Amino acid sequence: MLTVLIYGAVTSAILAMLAVGFTLIFGVARILNLAHGAFYALGAYCTYSLTATYKVPLIVAALASVALVALFGMAMERVLVRPQRQSSLAVLMITLMVALTVEQVLFVVFGSQSKNVPAFINFPVYLHGVSLDGQRLLALAVAVCLIGALWLFIQRTRLGSAILAISQDPEAAQYMGIPANRIFSLVMGLSAALAGAAGVIAGPFLSVRPTMDQTAMITAFSVVIVGGLGSIPGSILAALIIGYSETFVAFYLNPEWTGTVSLVAILLTLVLRPAGLMGRAVGA
Amino acid sequence: MRRIVPLLTSVVFAGALAMSFQAKAASNKPILIGLDTPIQHQVGKDTVAAVKMAVEEINAKGGVLGRKLAYVVADEGVDPQLGVSAINKLTSDDHVNVLIGGYSSGVTLAEEPHIAQSKTIWIGVGSASPNITALVGKDYDKYKYIFRVNPLNSALQAAQIVDFAKNVVKDQLGRDKVAILGESAIWVRGLVPVLVKGLEANGMKVTYQQLFDESMNDFTPLFARVKDSGAKYLLVILSHANSDVFVKQLYEARLPMPYGGIDVKSMTPNFCSRVNGAAVGETTVNFITRAPITPKTIPFWDKFVKENGRAPVYTAPGAYNSVYLYAWAVEKAGTTDADPVIKQLEKADYLGVGGKIKFNKVHDDIDGPGYQNLLFVQWQKDCTRQVVWPKELATGKIMLPPWVK
Repeated sequence: MLTVLIYGAVTSAILAMLAVGFTLIFGVARILNLAHGAFYALGAYCTYSLTATYKVPLIVAALASVALVALFGMAMERVLVRPQRQSSLAVLMITLMVALTVEQVLFVVFGSQSKNVPAFINFPVYLHGVSLDGQRLLALAVAVCLIGALWLFIQRTRLGSAILAISQDPEAAQYMGIPANRIFSLVMGLSAALAGAAGVIAGPFLSVRPTMDQTAMITAFSVVIVGGLGSIPGSILAALIIGYSETFVAFYLNPEWTGTVSLVAILLTLVLRPAGLMGRAVGA
Repeated sequence: MRRIVPLLTSVVFAGALAMSFQAKAASNKPILIGLDTPIQHQVGKDTVAAVKMAVEEINAKGGVLGRKLAYVVADEGVDPQLGVSAINKLTSDDHVNVLIGGYSSGVTLAEEPHIAQSKTIWIGVGSASPNITALVGKDYDKYKYIFRVNPLNSALQAAQIVDFAKNVVKDQLGRDKVAILGESAIWVRGLVPVLVKGLEANGMKVTYQQLFDESMNDFTPLFARVKDSGAKYLLVILSHANSDVFVKQLYEARLPMPYGGIDVKSMTPNFCSRVNGAAVGETTVNFITRAPITPKTIPFWDKFVKENGRAPVYTAPGAYNSVYLYAWAVEKAGTTDADPVIKQLEKADYLGVGGKIKFNKVHDDIDGPGYQNLLFVQWQKDCTRQVVWPKELATGKIMLPPWVK
């Protein structure tokens, strides 16, 4: 049972890392970023490339990868998304194009074979006689720390207040002198960094392949729909529900059915509470 | 009339001359080999590299029937639709004389009607489902173009795995409770019932069996179930699934039992180092290794390594053998026309790099002493590989994974 509880927590933590960034950029800038899964893939591949090809120490490679992915996200926002922001359809298309381009570049550069991202912890940790993968426990701790830090940043700093102001009323915030474009760029950087960090930390025990962005994107999307678009607490709650449901299904029913958990959750949400668990209903 | 006769004669003569030049040109055209293979995968890259090697060797000796060999590649990926497009391109656009390739059984099965329709000989080097060649038995006239030199079909592989399980797992390691995990692919679905029946017939008990989707990337729940089932050995059947992650997670879970079986990605020479040594202890079947299986094995292996900078995976010897076998059959038939070449291939008893190649009545390669057989190879200390079964080819003894007591 302890194994199931820990693995459920790890799955939920990775889902939350993916979903919080995705919902953040939507909540603040109303950008439905279909390239979010690509950030996750880039985080894992950057770490692989820096450690395997350039022999950079793992901790340096991990931090550099997160920074590079954040810069990539900011560059994407500045060069490709910002000129098209007036049209949400154009933004959807441009971010989809980025996702497909990243996937193809990874195919060409690294091939289809999966890559081995080195783990920070290569030994099992024993809790009450149960052997648990050390890297997974680390992933859980990192996810909790990063999401907690993001929460504090938004709630307790001037920049965080600016982000909240923009998300609540962009026009009023701009009249108050808050530079909206800079805030959007910053939020895109944070969102990309969080997804990139998920790739770095989950890469060692999950699959690192060029198509890994697709699963990440679908998962993030599912969690955000269930939690409510734009709601960070909603995303965390939904990540816990979906993460634990997937783990219970995998351990006690059939591991092949885990993919259906998200679909059932989306279906139930759309039927019973279309705005999501903590989302605001349209027109409310 | 007197003027017309010489004119007609000239026209007929000129026409005959043109046709003779055309025929001459056609007879000088290279014999074209079409490769349908997933070129982004190691199995595909090695298919191409081995064909290149064989083609260059044959051309250096003067070619076949005075004609050079050439090849053209089409990517079939692991997608049936892509596979059908590859076959249609090679047969309709490139007009190849023979097709060599295949990897995914699902893709090959989708391609077969198109291969049959094109009346082009296809020699399989990668896909293992018995259904592929069963079609030859069901409708010979339509599917007589299908041959497989490699790998052994999954039913034959199952029989050899049972033999390994009885002699090594049960008798040497003293483990008679087995769990089976495999990917949910056509060839695996055919193989598992044969394995279960064979294991039970040899006094072993199958405590748990589960097939999973090829895209699965978290195997920990499966390992928990294997452990809870009381199994003492884990038999794996993996080809397209993500073996890297499977092996790493098994290592991280410290699953308390040895494991092995078919793991195509673990056949690649850099697999163990790629997963940071997590594969040490895994035993996987292979079709070739650097051992004197036949007089051709080591020269082939060394030349492949020299030219490509890596050791070959199982499709390479198959592809290399296929080119030589086809060249031999064309030489014997005196033509590239499919029907006479098929008759020669049916009679072949050819010594390849992994053993003798002989086809049964459904054009499938046979196993047995002297023919192609499975080698059970284990990753051992420092990611070196040792053949642990069959006994006559063994280079080392089987060991338990480092964490298993």
